[in-house]
Formats: sequence, structure tokens, C-alpha cells
Amino acid sequence: MPELRFLIVDDFSTMRRIVRNLLKEIGHADADEAEDGVVALHKLRNGKFDFVVSDINMPNMNGFELLTQIKADDKLKHLPVLMVTAEARKEDIIAAAQGGAAGYIVKPFTKATLEEKLANIFKKMGW
Amino acid sequence: MDQHTHEHQTEMFQRLGRITRQLHDALNELGYTPVLKGAVDELPDARSRLQYIARLTGDAAEKVLNRVDEAKAEQDAVRQHSQQLLDTIGAVPGLKWAMPELLEWTQKIQHSTERTDAHLTEIMLAQDFHDLTGQVIKKVVTLAAAIEEQLLQLLLESAAHAQSEAAPQPAALAASAPGGVRREQLAGPVVDPEGRSDVVTDQSQVDDLLASLGF
Repeated sequence: MPELRFLIVDDFSTMRRIVRNLLKEIGHADADEAEDGVVALHKLRNGKFDFVVSDINMPNMNGFELLTQIKADDKLKHLPVLMVTAEARKEDIIAAAQGGAAGYIVKPFTKATLEEKLANIFKKMGW
Repeated sequence: MDQHTHEHQTEMFQRLGRITRQLHDALNELGYTPVLKGAVDELPDARSRLQYIARLTGDAAEKVLNRVDEAKAEQDAVRQHSQQLLDTIGAVPGLKWAMPELLEWTQKIQHSTERTDAHLTEIMLAQDFHDLTGQVIKKVVTLAAAIEEQLLQLLLESAAHAQSEAAPQPAALAASAPGGVRREQLAGPVVDPEGRSDVVTDQSQVDDLLASLGF
């Protein structure tokens, strides 16, 4: 299991806490949080992170906009971005994939789903 | 925008303006202005009630998460102690044969703590209701605010008996934010997927959709 530093991005503190606890249970205790894309981008550009777990529907900068900014930044584009969101329209799922998202989880989700998607991404990244 | 499109748009907005004035006049003649005013007065109350619900459900979710964290810590301590006891039983020659019920009891404790921990994880996950309901509430509150603004505007124009023939200016299109998708365009949680083919209803459908497109 690679030792990774996660950034959890969601405007609901409850959800950030749930994801953080689940990551810890899965074996990834090193995580920070951001309440929207603007804060997330600032933290990513000024810190050291290995993985982003992001909601889509957020104020100031939503998850799609954050994904675009990350993939347009030479220093951040390598980061896998896993979308964890209530947005269930097929066009949004496709847009996320085409925008470079590493995975897409719809809420509500299970611990097993999060574990599975992380494992898939780790495998693709060669970790 | 070419000349033809511009003329068409101007004509459309002039027609909208005439319809709006007719609506104003009709509301006045029919005596609906007080009713409208009542609706406008009640909307802030409706919004604050929804915000109250969002706040209380958030507080409830946080309380549950706090208790889950504490309970998990307790379960983890019990699990560790039971493991230490199992190790001790294994290390003392003959103990597990002399007291098989002690070994059995310790193993049961371990299994029980694992099951309890899994239940606590499910309780934690169930608090995602706050996020999902909160998103829906936010959208309704935003909608209520927009309706309130429009009704208020309608009231003001109705009361002032606007006479101007000028066409209302087309609303400025908000510039697209980077990424192209603004928050207002996002649908939020699907409240009723019945009869819809444009949404997914579970993770397996997400995975199938992505797999079908080669992702």
C-alpha cells in the first residue's frame, strides 16, 4: 500500500469527515481538507499531495473547474483526481472522464466501492 | 451576432415586455397584488425554515460522527486487548487445553469487535444523508430566493404602473467559469429517477457507462 497524502475536497464538512475516516480505515491516514475548489487549488499549489478526492457541486469553484485547473497545471496534472459526487447525470460522468478524472463514485457509496476505485487507480498508476 | 438575429432578439424582448405589462395590469385589476405581497413576505420564512432544517441535520450528523469516533476507539482498544490475551493464551503452555472456554471467549470477543466496528462504519457512512439532503435544500433555497426577487420586482412594477414602451434589456449572459460548467447548471442529487434515462442510479451503472466508452 503506497503512503500517500490525500486532499479531500467537499463543501460539506460531514462528507469530508466521512471520506477522511474511510481513507484512514483503508490505510491512508495522511489527509487534508478543502471546502471548495479555490481553497483546494491553493493547497495543491502550495503543498505536497499525491491524490485528490473531490466533490463536484461546490461554491466558488466546482469539481469540474478544479479538475480543469489541475490538468492545465504542469506541476499538478500528474495528480489522480477521484470524483465522489451526487451528480448522477450521464453527461456529467462522461465530462469528468473526458476531463481527466481518474475515477467517478456516486453518492451514497460504500467503503468497498471507495477501496475498489482506489485500488484500480493505484494499479493504473503502477503503485 | 448578425443583423437578422439581433433584430429577431429585439422583437422577442419587446413582445416579452408587452406580455409582462399585461400581466402587471391583470394582477392589479384582479386584486392579486396583496396575494403576491403575501407570497413575497412568506418566502424568507420558508427559506429560513429550510436553512434551519439543514443546520439541525448537520448538527445531528456531526454528533453521530463524534460518537462513532469514540465508539470505534473503544472497540479498537477491546480488540487489541483481546489479541494480547490470545497471544498470552498461546504463549502459556497448556493453557488453551486447560481452559478452552477462555480461548473460545476471547476469540468471540475479537469477532464481535470486528462486527461492531463494521456496523459503526455503516453508521458513519449513513451520515452522508446530510450532504445529499443539504444539496437539495440549497437548491430549493436558491430557487426560493430567485422567485422572491422576481415576485418583488413584479410587485414593484405592478404598483408603479410602468408605462415605458422600452423593451427590457436582455439579461447579460454570465461568463462561463473555467471548466465550462457553472454551479447553477449542476443538477445535484437525483431526487426522483423514475422514468429518466439520462441519469444513473447506482455505482454499477457508472462503471458500465465508463467501460462502454473505453474509460
